[in-house]
Amino acid sequence: MSMFLSNKQERFLPYLLIAPTVAVLFTLSIYPLFYAIKTSFQTGDDLHFSLGNFTRLFSDGFFFSALAHTFVFASLALTLEFLIGLSLALLLDSKLRGKNVFRALLLVPMMLPPVVVGVIWRLMFNSDFGAINGTLKSFGFDTTNLTWLASSKLAFLSIIVVDVWQWTPFVFLILLAGLQAIPNEPYEAALIDGSSPWQTFKNITLPLLKPAILIALLLRTMDLLRVFDSIFILTEGGPGNATETISLYIYRTAFRFGDFGYATAMSFVLLILTNIISAMYIRFLQKQEKA
Amino acid sequence: MSKFLSVLLILSLVFLSACNRGGSGEKVITIAVVSGVEGDALTQAAKDYEAQTGIKIKIAQFPYQSLFEKELIDLQSKTGAYDLVMMDDPWFPKFASLSNALTELTPLYQKKGLQGHDEDFVKTSLALCRHPYESGKLFALPYVGNSQLFFYRKDIFEKYNLKSPETWDDVLSAAKTISEKETMKGYVMRAASGNSAVADFMPIFWAYGAEMFDANGNPTINSGEGIAALKMMLELGKYSPSGYASFGADEVSNHLLQGTAAMSINWPAWISAFSDASKSKVIGKMEFTTMPGAKNQGKAEIGNWLIAIPQSAQNKDAAFDFLLWATDKQQMKLSATRGNPPTRTSLFKDEELLKKNPAYPVQLKSLETSRPRPRTPQWNEIENVFGIYLSKANSGELSAEDAMNKANEEVKKIVERGK
Amino acid sequence: MKAQSSKFKVQSSILRYALVFAALIVALVPVYWAITISLKTESDQFSVPPLWFSFKPTLTHYRDAFLERGFGNYFLTSLIVSLSSTALALTLGTFTAYALARFRLRYKLGSRLSMWILSTRMFPPIVTAVPLFLLMRDLRLLDTSLALIITYTAFNLPFVVWMMRGFFLELPKELEEAAMMDGDSRLGALFRIILPLVTPGLAATAVFCLIISWNELLFALILSQTDNAMTLPVGIAGRVTQYEIKWGVMSAAGVAAMLPILIFAMSVQRYLVRGLSLGAVKG
Repeated sequence: MSMFLSNKQERFLPYLLIAPTVAVLFTLSIYPLFYAIKTSFQTGDDLHFSLGNFTRLFSDGFFFSALAHTFVFASLALTLEFLIGLSLALLLDSKLRGKNVFRALLLVPMMLPPVVVGVIWRLMFNSDFGAINGTLKSFGFDTTNLTWLASSKLAFLSIIVVDVWQWTPFVFLILLAGLQAIPNEPYEAALIDGSSPWQTFKNITLPLLKPAILIALLLRTMDLLRVFDSIFILTEGGPGNATETISLYIYRTAFRFGDFGYATAMSFVLLILTNIISAMYIRFLQKQEKA
Repeated sequence: MSKFLSVLLILSLVFLSACNRGGSGEKVITIAVVSGVEGDALTQAAKDYEAQTGIKIKIAQFPYQSLFEKELIDLQSKTGAYDLVMMDDPWFPKFASLSNALTELTPLYQKKGLQGHDEDFVKTSLALCRHPYESGKLFALPYVGNSQLFFYRKDIFEKYNLKSPETWDDVLSAAKTISEKETMKGYVMRAASGNSAVADFMPIFWAYGAEMFDANGNPTINSGEGIAALKMMLELGKYSPSGYASFGADEVSNHLLQGTAAMSINWPAWISAFSDASKSKVIGKMEFTTMPGAKNQGKAEIGNWLIAIPQSAQNKDAAFDFLLWATDKQQMKLSATRGNPPTRTSLFKDEELLKKNPAYPVQLKSLETSRPRPRTPQWNEIENVFGIYLSKANSGELSAEDAMNKANEEVKKIVERGK
Repeated sequence: MKAQSSKFKVQSSILRYALVFAALIVALVPVYWAITISLKTESDQFSVPPLWFSFKPTLTHYRDAFLERGFGNYFLTSLIVSLSSTALALTLGTFTAYALARFRLRYKLGSRLSMWILSTRMFPPIVTAVPLFLLMRDLRLLDTSLALIITYTAFNLPFVVWMMRGFFLELPKELEEAAMMDGDSRLGALFRIILPLVTPGLAATAVFCLIISWNELLFALILSQTDNAMTLPVGIAGRVTQYEIKWGVMSAAGVAAMLPILIFAMSVQRYLVRGLSLGAVKG
């Protein structure tokens, strides 16, 4: 311990090593935020100061729809990703031959650029010749009403399917790592005690897996709340605004209507929401770390 | 250690090369064009110009929505990325009303010793290029002279002795008959929300006597006439292929070309595809005519592509030279052979062009009697919202009354904000 | 290996394999489908029932995409931007991670900074999109690869710091202390002893950064105006919303966009799990 503070160089070294990173992050992540705050209080061509952008939020039906869409989407996708991811992790955490190959292949969807995922699924969902309708048709199903990306309800379902397809491997990976980190002793003890598989799972596996679960849920929630890329390609928020999540609405407001002020005001609401949610998760995490 | 350093060296070289990209000293004119026939023709023209004059032209091609976004950003933030911008006429009011965004063309003409534009341009096309509409200063030149036509299968009409479609009621009854008696659908339209739905709805809307705004600028979308017009659209939807509620121009044309639908509103740019054996299964069977009417005489919606020069452009004079060149009679004729309807009256009457485009007389008539979409700078937002509700009505989510009422409310909010 | 109760063992094996295969099919079939589209002629693409295997492949779409439509350019831009930003982030971030892992700073700065750095990753990108656009415009960096490199470096930094800090924390402090007692400087010890030990971590982190940069869409879309600075995702996105979608070209571009990432990621796949588990699970 005494090695650290004896050298003058030592004292400054850490700050030197940290400074560039802080500088970059400050310039590109924090400074823009201040700029955004300024912009959100400006309206009109002359950019006069006004609270208009914020008051407008309360009467904007599209804003509330976008928030609703985002939350419903995130909850459904997260639930499915968690359940399927956990199942896959449990499946692969065992003496399975070729386990490594399976694991490697299962990771493919999450590696792909979301844009490519969007293109792939637009192809799959194409009502006329896509793989899904095409295959159903060849089995004799009438697919005239299965216009996946053109009907509001089906489109919403489609974006969930795509996200689950792409990101379940991510959850699976983290949970698998978590499972593999659990030592053998508790299981052996449970075996001796005569625990049923379900009891073992509930009393031993789940609690020990908690940190991994929290991390997986945290990371996914953050990503789901700000989802943009694949939906942009898949439906652009359509049909109408049926699949328009908050990021898409902000994008549309800023870059299609040129209304930067309102867009930044909305961004702040989104930022506050994600901060609250991430703070909750992080507090859970810190409690876990101390335990 | 040395391995680490060498990797670092390579990466810094990569990094430095990145810094050098994206900027060169020589004069390059950058043009933002739209993806598709219209933009492709301009791209071709640019290549010809380069070959002729040696001046380098860089094309930035984007699909419709993206092009609007990029141009809006460039004009609003004055980034100077583009020397020439190709725009759909409904975008013009917004761009022209941004302060110091577009360059007035008359001074540029005068700099060259010219009085101004020549008289050959079709009046309705040129009117679009003025801000305010028709009477104001000139900020653009029209390049593609599109105005809607009504397409229908004359062979099927003859088969069932159907009256040629002069009113929307004619269209509806013909659509019903055809859908019942044939496997194909009687009608097809675009109802994807946004530009697609609105562009195809306006002719019906106007024919029923409805107007977007009253004399004071208040929205009157949900007038009795407006709702009646939407109801007609929904009726026509019953005889359209399923999923039409999200069709764009591509799907509509495909259905017509494949013979799976018999009638539609469409743009003249697609006419040539109908005689193309590699695309069309209905060669020689399609008829193109003027827009059906109802209470009012049918008026086509005009949809010209204009070219303007941003004020922040880095090479204004060179850009103007190109603009004059590309819109002169000879070049525009060439563009017409590449599939773009011209904006010069003389070209619509040109013998050579007439041979390949027998529909030109109808197109000219349609163009001269066409109406533009409302010339408000907020058209983009209005069209967006209106399009959403039209699409919802067509997908069955909302009734015609609800859709129009909600649309009217939202448009009112937009107009209020603009005041 | 874990002990398993007898009930699990018996039926489970066959069932397990079956379920895993089913999962694999779901994961891989869409990718396969897209690859076939990129190799099919246009009329084959539209055929019903879909042709899974029996079609004559053609390379026209690839030729079209890369030679005629500028995707080669987009690929190059993506490559330059991803490699540069990863290199920068890895360099800056690793040093920072080391400092945070090894030194106890005053006022609990260490853990505060770690949390702050982590929190910047929490921003929804759209929040900084507009101001970043305006910033780049003011710096006259719009439509340049440099703007993207800088932006992506900022994205990757928190991740690098977080991951590498975890790896450093795993190594006992005694290692450097021993080296320094032998006369080495701290930085020397860092380079000669510590870094080689965390190479798997560096590799995993580098791959993640590459993936994040390569795949990014929003900022690439916003910060580019001509193909001076268009990356592969932007090129693809730009064509998909178009009026007449050329699926062959789209999927050819898509395959090109995913191949490098897949190959690279698969080759360091072992480290990926370690990286995630060390960096994430153990905090």
